[in-house]
Amino acid sequence: MTWEPELQELKRRQALAKKMGGDERVKRQHDRGLLTVRERIERLLDQDSFQEIGSVAGTAHYDETGELSDFTAANCVFGLGKLDKRKVVVTGDDFTIRGGSADAAIWAKFKMAETMAYEFRIPLIRLVEGSGGGGSVRTLETTGRANLPGGVGTTSGMDLCVRNLAQVPVIAIAQGSVAGLGAARLVASHCSIMVKDTAAVFVAGPPVVERLGETRTKQELGGYKIQTKSGTVDLAVDSEEDAFKAARRFLSYLPNSVWELSARGDIPSDANRADEILLSIVPRDYRKPYQMRTIIESVVDKDSFFELGRNFGSSLITGLARINGWSVALMAGDPYRYAGVWTASSSQKLARFVDLAETFHLPVVHLADCPGFQVGLDAENSGIMRHAVRAITAINQCTVPWCSILVRNIFGVGGGAHQPAGRLSIRYAWPSGRWGSLPLEGGVEAAYSRELAQSDDPEMELRKIEERLGRLRSPFRTAESFLVEEIIDPRDTRRLLCDFTDMAAPLRTPGRVSFGARF
Amino acid sequence: MKHKEVCTEVAGSVWKLEIGIGAKVREGDILVIVESMKMEIPVTASADGLVVKLLVAEGDVVVEDQPVVLLELLT
Repeated sequence: MTWEPELQELKRRQALAKKMGGDERVKRQHDRGLLTVRERIERLLDQDSFQEIGSVAGTAHYDETGELSDFTAANCVFGLGKLDKRKVVVTGDDFTIRGGSADAAIWAKFKMAETMAYEFRIPLIRLVEGSGGGGSVRTLETTGRANLPGGVGTTSGMDLCVRNLAQVPVIAIAQGSVAGLGAARLVASHCSIMVKDTAAVFVAGPPVVERLGETRTKQELGGYKIQTKSGTVDLAVDSEEDAFKAARRFLSYLPNSVWELSARGDIPSDANRADEILLSIVPRDYRKPYQMRTIIESVVDKDSFFELGRNFGSSLITGLARINGWSVALMAGDPYRYAGVWTASSSQKLARFVDLAETFHLPVVHLADCPGFQVGLDAENSGIMRHAVRAITAINQCTVPWCSILVRNIFGVGGGAHQPAGRLSIRYAWPSGRWGSLPLEGGVEAAYSRELAQSDDPEMELRKIEERLGRLRSPFRTAESFLVEEIIDPRDTRRLLCDFTDMAAPLRTPGRVSFGARF
Repeated sequence: MKHKEVCTEVAGSVWKLEIGIGAKVREGDILVIVESMKMEIPVTASADGLVVKLLVAEGDVVVEDQPVVLLELLT
């Protein structure tokens, strides 16, 4: 006598659950160019690694003889699995069952996914679609009373999401329409990813917005162009498959939790690579921009730079990279975008990025080119000083090892914040480095107006004055006073950064940050 | 005939128009230089084409993503 009959019953119920919302709804999902939640989990995780939890949770109906007559699975699928051989928790919304909105079974599943990642200190991946467990007006009828959000004995679960942000890597992928609580759960992550053209993320969708007199399509309201530009979503990809790849890639730079350190990747054989282009890439004419991303690619391990938030706060480039196999958080000014000034949005991006580095013990590498904060009325209206000071707060609370390479402009408070103020960091300057409290350009004509007026050849005189001042501003004079430590051959940058990351590695300390997650 | 708008990615003012109507351009050629934060930021052709319309004049203030040149695409 065995328990075989019960195993058969289990298999039967699991098979019913795997039907999700039924053939018609599944077909509708596919027709919209979307995968089902079970397909997503299968493709995201390492093959055959998914251990589902709550595989037979759902709403059952029994006939008069007590036999199971009908069964609808809970619209959250979650469990344990492996992502590139690393144990993770994955939770996915099943849009084929009532658009993924609230029903009894899913709350406990949502919460358990969050707490499981927290307690076992492993990464969490959320596959979000629909309202992510948020309410629907229909619930009023099915439960017979109005739902108080956050009412007695209930929870949005956001407390669990928030504490996970300071505990484990959280990655969230949006597909289809993602609204309300679903959007919140998408954004409460270290890396949020949405699929171009098929995903739309918003507080509330077109029908609600229409009532306020605004007519928008889903893409017009919450498409990837809007949400990556607003900074709400970190990354937009071309397909669901690309979303899974991006999730794996993001995770590869991070440890399993804040209690560990990220693993060293392959040790490259070209730590001493010295690309010739670095010697000439920064133009002598300081009005001409150069491609900072070319410099980035030249100094990090080959193809290891993974950019985040490209369309938001674009005067600053941020991303994860490897240098001599070690994971780093890399940031750089983009001279193509507002000369690399700090704007309100780039300040916000900077603060969040430094917090990410601090949370997961990633040394920071900063390729600095910053002429200061943005000035002008638009800047003031955007609250630039408020946002900038918040970014400076993040930098000065940061304890991870930090290395700055002064590539070009370092001016003002923004320029001065290229490294934390209160401790020793590693710093090297390129010969193209130019710095001061304020740039002089534009001020020469005013300051030397008498000399210029008295000259027979004012244009020549202006050039002579600029040349004279230029010699005084030479980085060598700053180096004489040991205000800057060392000017280097730009081609040595990679070698020096590899040195830095080797020195930084033993300094990384696992544990919780002194602040919780901050947004 | 397929057309494509080339847009400036940054706000600023139009400093120089580097091409005229009728110019044949290759992807990557500089069409317009926008002055932004005292930098000379080139706006380049996003495809091979023929310049059929200049949507801005030197000195115009431009905003992010504003179209500056209309190209007729050469397939």
